[in-house]
Amino acid sequence: MKRITVLIAAAGLACNLLGELSVAEIVERANQASYYAGDDGSADVTMTITDKGGSVRTREFRVLRMNTGQGTQKFYVYFKKPADLYKQVYLVWKEVKEGKDDSRWMWLPALNLKRSIAPGDKRISFVGSDFVYEDVSGRSLKEDKHELVETTDEQYVLKNTPVNPESVEFASYTVWIDKQTMLPRKAEYYDKSGKLLRTVEAVKVETIQGFPTVIESVAKDLNSGSTTVNTYSAIKYNIGLNERIFTERFLRRPPREAVR
Amino acid sequence: MKRLKMTLFSTRYPWLIVALTLLGVVFFGAQFPKVKFDNDPENMLARDEHVRVFHNEVKERYRLYDFVIAGVVNTADEDGIFNVGSLRRIDALTRELISLRENADGLPEVIRNGKPFVPDLQPASAWKRMLAHVFGNDVNNLFDEAGHSVIINGEIISPGVVDNIRQDGQGQLAIEYLMEHAPANREEALVVKHDAMNNPLYKGTLVSEDGQAIALYIPIVAKTYSYNVANLVEKLTEEWPESDQIYITGQPVAQDTFGVEMLVQMASSAPLAGLAIFLLLLFFFRRISLIVAPMIVAVVSVVCTMGLLIGLGYDVHIMSSMIAIFLMPISVADSVHILSEFFDVYPRFRDKAETIKHVVSHLFKPMLYTSLTTIAGFASLATTPIPPVRVFGLHVAFGVALAWVLTMTLVPAYIMLFVRTKTLNALKPEEHKEHRGMLSRRLAAVGTLSYRRWKTILFITVAVIVVSIYGISHIRVNDNPVKWFTKNHRIRVADQVLNSHFGGTYTAYLTLKPASADVMNLSRKLTAIRDRIRTRMEKGTEGTQEFEAILDGFMTRSGKSGQVDEKVFFSDLTVRVEALDAQINGVWLTLGDAINYLDPDKVTLPSIMQAVQGKGDVKERQQLIKALESLGDISGAVLQERALEFVDKKTKTSFLSLLNEALAEINAPAFKQPQNLAWVERLQEFLKTVPKIGKTSSAADALKKASFELNYDADADLQRNNSFYSIPQTPSAVAQVFVQLEGMKKKDSLFHLVTRDYGEVNLWVQLKSGDNTDMQSVVEMTKAWIHDNPAPMKMETGWAGLTYLNVVWQEKMVAGMLNALFSSFVVVLIMMVILFRSVLFGVLAMIPLSVTITFIYGLIGLVGKDYDMPVAVLSSLTLGLSVDFAIHFLERAREMTATTGSWKKAIEKMFQEPAMAISRNAIIISVGFTPLLFAPLVPYKTVGFFLATIMAVSWLATLFILAALITGLQKYLFNKEK
Repeated sequence: MKRITVLIAAAGLACNLLGELSVAEIVERANQASYYAGDDGSADVTMTITDKGGSVRTREFRVLRMNTGQGTQKFYVYFKKPADLYKQVYLVWKEVKEGKDDSRWMWLPALNLKRSIAPGDKRISFVGSDFVYEDVSGRSLKEDKHELVETTDEQYVLKNTPVNPESVEFASYTVWIDKQTMLPRKAEYYDKSGKLLRTVEAVKVETIQGFPTVIESVAKDLNSGSTTVNTYSAIKYNIGLNERIFTERFLRRPPREAVR
Repeated sequence: MKRLKMTLFSTRYPWLIVALTLLGVVFFGAQFPKVKFDNDPENMLARDEHVRVFHNEVKERYRLYDFVIAGVVNTADEDGIFNVGSLRRIDALTRELISLRENADGLPEVIRNGKPFVPDLQPASAWKRMLAHVFGNDVNNLFDEAGHSVIINGEIISPGVVDNIRQDGQGQLAIEYLMEHAPANREEALVVKHDAMNNPLYKGTLVSEDGQAIALYIPIVAKTYSYNVANLVEKLTEEWPESDQIYITGQPVAQDTFGVEMLVQMASSAPLAGLAIFLLLLFFFRRISLIVAPMIVAVVSVVCTMGLLIGLGYDVHIMSSMIAIFLMPISVADSVHILSEFFDVYPRFRDKAETIKHVVSHLFKPMLYTSLTTIAGFASLATTPIPPVRVFGLHVAFGVALAWVLTMTLVPAYIMLFVRTKTLNALKPEEHKEHRGMLSRRLAAVGTLSYRRWKTILFITVAVIVVSIYGISHIRVNDNPVKWFTKNHRIRVADQVLNSHFGGTYTAYLTLKPASADVMNLSRKLTAIRDRIRTRMEKGTEGTQEFEAILDGFMTRSGKSGQVDEKVFFSDLTVRVEALDAQINGVWLTLGDAINYLDPDKVTLPSIMQAVQGKGDVKERQQLIKALESLGDISGAVLQERALEFVDKKTKTSFLSLLNEALAEINAPAFKQPQNLAWVERLQEFLKTVPKIGKTSSAADALKKASFELNYDADADLQRNNSFYSIPQTPSAVAQVFVQLEGMKKKDSLFHLVTRDYGEVNLWVQLKSGDNTDMQSVVEMTKAWIHDNPAPMKMETGWAGLTYLNVVWQEKMVAGMLNALFSSFVVVLIMMVILFRSVLFGVLAMIPLSVTITFIYGLIGLVGKDYDMPVAVLSSLTLGLSVDFAIHFLERAREMTATTGSWKKAIEKMFQEPAMAISRNAIIISVGFTPLLFAPLVPYKTVGFFLATIMAVSWLATLFILAALITGLQKYLFNKEK
């Protein structure tokens, strides 16, 4: 018995030496690569939501992000288009500690209204698109059990099963992660009967300031037949954002980093 | 004789005929396993029918589904349905429905208490299980071809899975489900009640206003699964306590249940009717061996006709399920005439073949014509615009033709083969006489009466017709598939109970869209922008001149190049206006920005001075510092705020903001424009006052609720908060509230009520009644209101939904049936003229059926019975059957008058044997269909009742009116003969 354990341990070591990663390492690195690149960053997003019938809704906004230590992050989302959403702002403080909820605020300029939003479901659609909040800010690694189902030359394929299945709309999801960049390239969400519900795909990736960066991603809702394409431009890392930007005061008076 | 060829052949080679018949039965019977059923009244309309296409478009555009409505009512608890137990059960049921899946054995399985649970969905009664098996109605069929649940989980409406915006009590806005978790205690249960009652989308729909009931709306992929889903819900709630009553309804369930029960009816009513006819025949003819023949004719005709229908690939529809019932009396009728006569004249010949020859030669012409007229009556249904009715009409016509052929061939063959001569010879004439005497004494009296009192009879007839016409004028054309069930049927009960609690279980959708999209070209847009900015800015305000100059420049540009990419165009304009903003407000913006980034806790006047050092212009800096100095000794966040306020005061309105505001207004789709939404609001106010409308829901309701919750301030007074329960005042404000609704927990639920581009809206209209007349008046009243209260922009309205669809097919049905009735009337009249070679006789032949039809419809109008689908179909049956009696009567009357020399002498004979045959027929059919009166489905009852009435009335009409008319017209009728 003891011998077997030693053997397994040795095998594990050998794998690591050969450059193969453990499941925990894979998810951790993928998480870092997709959500934590640099100390902070800024990007312009053009969001195109196309429904089954072909009608299109477009949204343009700038996202400012800042890593604030121990996995916490702050996001400032500033809308430029369409004209009727001009200057609308979402502010999010992301928490990762168990039992701690994110904080969210919004600013609706046409209503001259600032509201704080109660922590709630992170699987809510992001401004009506096929992306959910969790796609934007990342899903806590502790919420799923991860399982490496396949390793190809280029990718790791992971199956992820929620620890608390009642809390989410899916039963499991599979993620394909590029070995080279450690960026997840595709995620497929399935329901209990094994029906594909939703896919999120990183269609285009470029290296910007040394960080592999998704510059186009697509989310599809298979139930409604709706598709959302996000294209990212003017991506900048390590721009030295002031953390004070991510406060309520900057809702009404957007920072120059968002406006210009 | 030519006409006897077929019959003589049959008497010569009876075995061949029997063999051929058997072959036919086997062939058509072999089609039966291919049977498919279709219970969908929607199929009353052709697939490409405009309104149906529109209905499906609306369903698709707004992602609407047919749903099973499961209402739970609790009148026992003081909190009504909002008690912990009931809410927990409802929540558990919802989870179970969502968890529905096919297990390894292919059976439906749900998750109950965390474990798989396989409910036994089979009916308790063995008889029903057997029928379900025979008709291939698998209650476990709850999965589509790919094995996925037919319930659309994401669209279930139940407290645990519908959105709710509310105040979380700490000044935060909570976006969650109405009932995130099943309540643990009374307080939590009452919170659910409070939230539900305060949501206009749920009150009256999901929860009843009296707080006693909750209705789950379970959307399904296709209507045909609704019976099974309803059954599943019933089985899953089987062990619920008495206090929670479950009621399941909704049009799909009603229709599907009707379909299932219709099969049971087909399996029981038709044979019962057959049995009743058999017993009556037995009573009249007293020899089983004799009367088996008509029964065989009936069964063979029905089997072959249904086999043909199935073999041709038609689904058995509500209409075609009645084929058996219609065909039975008609096919029996001819053979009864033959038998009746055979029975009477056999003693004369004492030879079967001779008797048959005599009887058939005698009856050939009337029988051919009675069959032809019946065929014409039913075939005329092929002219209706309703596919199932066409199929029904043509198949019955086929069945009648077949029955005629069988009567001419199989009946003689049968008599030759299976009726023993001994039996016939053994018939005691006394018994015969005595039996005849009973009926015929009375018939003789009728004859005398018709002759002597013909004027009185005609007077009475005219009186009856006048009253009937009055009745017809009161006919109410109406149908309601739910009313196809008898009053105590669980679906009728559920319908009644749920409609007393809720806004209505009948669904119609009213869609509104601008009649023409007002597309502004660029120069019009620019003009509109300039106009808006002029009204907003005082003349001479800094920058307005520059702004107008920019606009003028762009105006020229838009005029020059024909095709400009608007996006690029406005993008460029934005850049220019941004630059203008920087030019005018740049200094103050820079100063404000510098102050804004300071750490509020550490703000002091010196720190501000340091922050603005070197920024902007000296002049502005000095103004700022001077102003701040005058504030006295303040610091920190307060000072920062005051400093920013000062900067704001100095900052001119941003032209970019103005431009965006103007753009938002110009480009706003119809239903981001407050004035259009306000009109929808008014329309809804009106609809509330329309009888039978319980509730309407629209995007405006969702908008107002969201606006209220977003703007809610716990510290503010009620009046201020309530003022936000309204449509926001600008398109941008509307858009910003709508975008919050787009990002709700249940994605896209808003888009059931408005299209994604906000160009069109859909009002969900809940009606408490599914009567077509009610729906029709809703449509008319709405049209009138819109005419009197036009929308700010011209709107096109469209109706969809099953309740509305029923109205449309009914209208088509009524018009189509009337048309068919008239055309077959003309055809039959022509046939009669040809048959009797006399216009007068032809017209005469039409009189009893005309009186009968007038009387029947007059009766329907007088007693207030709705003219519905079964009644409409009966008109063609009336035509086909009533004329038969007249043909037989007139044919024989003419013959007898010829042989006896005068009508006076003939009438005596007429009221013996010929009247006997007619009477037997009438009685057999009338009484034979009484079993239908006990059917649990109303259309069958209607058919049963009216068949009996039609027979009785046309029998009377023939014997009294025809006889009386002939008496009155004998000079003209018989003189011409000579």
